[in-house]
Amino acid sequence: MPFSSGEKWRPRAGFFKFSCCTGCGFELAYFQRSLEDTLKSFDFAFFRLASSSGDFDSLLDLALVEGTVTEPFQAVELKKIRKNSAVLYAVGSCAIAGGIPAIKAGGLELEIEKRAYQKKLYRLTSIRPSVLGDYVKVDGCVRGCPPGRHDLEEALVSVLLDRKPEFIEYSVCVECKMKGNICLLVDEGLPCMGPVTNAGCGALCPSCHRACYSCFGLMGQANIPALKDKFRQLGLSGEEIERRFTLFDGLKLKK
Amino acid sequence: MNGENTSQKNYEILISRQQLASWVEGLRENFQLIGPVGVKDEAEFREVFSFDEINPGYRSTMLPPGKTFLLKPEEEILSFDITPEGPVAKEPPLPHQKRVLFGVHACDTHAILYLDKVFLGAFPDPLYRARRENTLIISLNCRAVTEFCFCHLVGAGPFLKAQSGYDVLLTDMDGEFLVELKSERARKLFRIEGRPPEEKDWKRKEEMELELLKSFSKDFRADGLREVFLSRPDHPALRETAEGRCLSCANCVMVCPTCFCHDIYDETRVSRTGIKRMRRWDACQDYSFARVHGGNFRQERQARLRQFVFHKLDYEGQFGVKGTVGCGRCIRWCPTGIDLTEIAKEMMK
Repeated sequence: MPFSSGEKWRPRAGFFKFSCCTGCGFELAYFQRSLEDTLKSFDFAFFRLASSSGDFDSLLDLALVEGTVTEPFQAVELKKIRKNSAVLYAVGSCAIAGGIPAIKAGGLELEIEKRAYQKKLYRLTSIRPSVLGDYVKVDGCVRGCPPGRHDLEEALVSVLLDRKPEFIEYSVCVECKMKGNICLLVDEGLPCMGPVTNAGCGALCPSCHRACYSCFGLMGQANIPALKDKFRQLGLSGEEIERRFTLFDGLKLKK
Repeated sequence: MNGENTSQKNYEILISRQQLASWVEGLRENFQLIGPVGVKDEAEFREVFSFDEINPGYRSTMLPPGKTFLLKPEEEILSFDITPEGPVAKEPPLPHQKRVLFGVHACDTHAILYLDKVFLGAFPDPLYRARRENTLIISLNCRAVTEFCFCHLVGAGPFLKAQSGYDVLLTDMDGEFLVELKSERARKLFRIEGRPPEEKDWKRKEEMELELLKSFSKDFRADGLREVFLSRPDHPALRETAEGRCLSCANCVMVCPTCFCHDIYDETRVSRTGIKRMRRWDACQDYSFARVHGGNFRQERQARLRQFVFHKLDYEGQFGVKGTVGCGRCIRWCPTGIDLTEIAKEMMK
């Protein structure tokens, strides 16, 4: 019964990880205010960061998946998770937009392997990076690097209450204005990615007088050419601009 | 005109800057004092503890005082627990903080009167109403304008002409301040002996306004815009600005003193207790703004930009006045410098 707050119904959940820093999983395990409630409300069948045991093949009410697919076996696992899960949310920039593991999408695979590892490349099984959505249907995106509190709670509560999640879908500028931060881009000419970046962080960097570098990834319908034009007017080189846009969204922009 | 009605004379007084300072500081006994404080090249409305902190010559602020302090960026309107028996709701207590908003320019005063139409209209909002009633508004005529201002074109400034809906109107008369008391409570609170303004003072005020009117740089004709808006909703000026420059970042809406749209969402918790139902400023520039069951009726960026421009420069059918007060904030804070007056001019060609 989704509407009971007691412990009668505990949805079974799993947290899975592909290529990434495990920051999103850590964020869930470190879910200060709600960790106890999360563990009480959900039966975690698989969550490596919380327990080394776990049943990878369990049927799930909710699968949370972080990381980019960069190994063939991960694609196989992902498809299995999808088959076993009623709801699958992609968690974090790596799973949604490619994130840091997808920086390599900007070059040739072999050249990048040579630069990173120099020798014994035959041992590498790594493939081109892919977001989860390239392989399976994703029911929702919990954006962030790592995700903010609101979206993470929303993802879990949506399953507990059997309703659609309402994830944040507006720019970082909105959060900046709500905090009253004087605009870094307009007032100081700093190349801030805020206008095209999905909010959820609470405008963390601009609040500390640092330009946003888009770690939450591009928001829906971001006007990329318009902000690139603006950065050009600020005197940034083509490469500097490209790096800003592909740091977390390498996959979205290479296609 | 001002001063002609003899019974009003006691409500118009010229006082020195020192007298004004001590009166305003005296208000702090019962009120929290909010005023414009210079921050970098932009001022900001925030709590002040002495009159010296206030910059009465400020030109503009990024966030408008009315929307920020009367309709807060975000506030809790309800909290509830989901129990096996059903939801149990609790309303937050009404705000009781008494406040003075000092130095509200003509445009921002008009914006507050506009917000009143929304939040004190057919369905009065209890939180807004409580804050509005607890807030003394001391307006201040501008002595300088910015390159973005166009209040003179929409009848909202630079000198305030509205006669009610706020408490005090101040005009900086080069060393002296002309105080016009516009509400009963202001008359009760203001007990300072000053000089009654003479004919030459009113004349001086008029001259100051005429002088100021010359320093505006924006110029467009607001009349007749509706016909163009309605006949050419996909005008190239809109389409090209939307695709070439609009970032859909919603900065324009956030800094707009009259943009009253708000979203209501639940700040949920896994425990399903203490869930907060929040109201926060919303923006028609967000992609998700017009998403309803079955689709999104403003999927294109152009449609969203048009919504903003039309709502500001037209939409008189909504509340009988235009949605803009000409403060120019949307132009000043747009990262790509989109100017709705330029769009209007382009469309009127």
